[in-house]
Amino acid sequence: MAGAAARRALLLVVLLAVMFAAVEALPGDAATAASERGESAADLAARRHLLGLDQPLWERFWDWMTALPTGDLGTSAHGRPVTELLADPLPNTLLLGASAFVLTVVLSLALGCWAAARPGRLTDRIIGHTATASFAVPEFVVSVLLLLLLSLWTGWLPAVTVTGADGAPATWTMLIMPVIALVIPQTGWNTRIVRGALADQSATPHVEAAFLDGLPTRHVLLRHALPGAIPAIATGIATSTGMLLGGAVVVETLFNYPGIGTVLAGAVAARDTPLIAGVVICAGAVVSLVLLAADLLRARVLGARA
Amino acid sequence: MSAATTTVTKGPPSIPGRARNVRRTAPAVLLVLLALCGPFLAPHTIGTPVTAPYAPPGEGALLGGDQLGRDVLSRLLHGGTALIASALLVAAVVTLLATLLGCIAVLRPALGRVLERTADVSILLPSVLGIMLIALAWPGGGRGPVVIAAIALGTPYAVRIVASAAAPLAHSGYVEAAIIRGEQLPYIALRELLPNLRATVLALFGLRFVEGIYVISMAGFLQIGPQPPTADWALMVRENAPGILLNPWAVLAPSLAIALLAISVNLASNSLAPHSVRKAVTTS
Repeated sequence: MAGAAARRALLLVVLLAVMFAAVEALPGDAATAASERGESAADLAARRHLLGLDQPLWERFWDWMTALPTGDLGTSAHGRPVTELLADPLPNTLLLGASAFVLTVVLSLALGCWAAARPGRLTDRIIGHTATASFAVPEFVVSVLLLLLLSLWTGWLPAVTVTGADGAPATWTMLIMPVIALVIPQTGWNTRIVRGALADQSATPHVEAAFLDGLPTRHVLLRHALPGAIPAIATGIATSTGMLLGGAVVVETLFNYPGIGTVLAGAVAARDTPLIAGVVICAGAVVSLVLLAADLLRARVLGARA
Repeated sequence: MSAATTTVTKGPPSIPGRARNVRRTAPAVLLVLLALCGPFLAPHTIGTPVTAPYAPPGEGALLGGDQLGRDVLSRLLHGGTALIASALLVAAVVTLLATLLGCIAVLRPALGRVLERTADVSILLPSVLGIMLIALAWPGGGRGPVVIAAIALGTPYAVRIVASAAAPLAHSGYVEAAIIRGEQLPYIALRELLPNLRATVLALFGLRFVEGIYVISMAGFLQIGPQPPTADWALMVRENAPGILLNPWAVLAPSLAIALLAISVNLASNSLAPHSVRKAVTTS
């Protein structure tokens, strides 16, 4: 447990170091990115000083890394602390992402098992092709189609998210469309992973033996094949968390959902690199936690057998 | 990681015939050709207004007008060329790099471990965020940095796929014989390993093309790729979204174009790949 956590933490630190180096290596910095026309060189130098960009590279990296554990993500290009800018929208994005994640896991397990129970038959082929077709479609395209279908033509769901006084979406119905838009491509991808893992398992001797013993297919699938497939499924689904978070960012802009995506859209317009780096840190931390959970589940399942 | 394990399913073996392959890849090829030839078929130029803003389909404009009254159909015919070309470029470069690095990784285990850790790290970074970070820190922006970012972020994971397919080959008799003969690393990689990885490389290229379309159009939608007034499907969706009630076709047509392209290319690459390879590429 401690070993797996340390390994995940180390990988996260490496990601942060690589990201810091990449932003450094690229031409242009936060001070020039946020500069306006007609600004003098003295103004630019003043902002460089404010953002600490006149310090040596190693000193800045050390300051930045040591500030992270205290929850300090640095200063945005416009002088406000990144933590402050992300404090309100982050929980909303996590709510959206977590709902979509749970629904994806349930749906892809159900569809994957359903397909695996009828190998090679029509159901299996239909589920397989639909899954393949759906994971390629970008989330914003799914969102547009949903928006036209469920909101503008039928009027069933609100098209735009209205933010309540507490900064969260006003009603839960506003979560439905963004969640569906994220779930469709994710389920397509993960159903294939579940189906593939179950196919690998059904070739193992103990599952074939159970099958030849004449046990019902459902029993063989759920009691004999699925437990062995859990490690592969957990790793596969955890690996796609990054895709889910990336999709959430895009879907939010379209539905005007009060999450990280809306903040990022502003950051893109203002070319605010420190703010985007802050979001990358949060996303990296979330993905690391999900991967750690998958590691632990894997260790538990395989450990019990050893 | 499943390349080494057996991939026997209980169903009938799915070895697609030549006719079936042609039937399944035809939609993707047709669509790509149509998008590449589109600019020559457009009835209007992409820059001049021909209707009122968000005019519904009718006289002179089959799909109506966009937010500035420009012809949606003409912009649609122009908007896919650069998107597909960049996605193809990303797919080709990532596949090439991944094949070379993957072959070297299995022959030089020390480098293999480094590449494996790189893939572990790159999984933590959502590709959309990574592209945002790289393309924005790049002065000038535009399509170039997005393509470079997509290549940089896509390669580590692709290397892992090639390496896992090449690992069993590295211990085969003919490779060990070549090593004992004293052949150089490039010879073993190109003449002994690569010919046996054709199916994996082809499947990888297909999947990377799909991924390229996904990533490039996401970047376009987030306005970090092509800038207005360029005609680009993803950018059209973003620009015309405010007028979705007045002329839904200005948003729906480019959305459907992206969806059809992504789906047809994905189904095509999926049906071309042998079953074992398809699994190795998608579930590693």
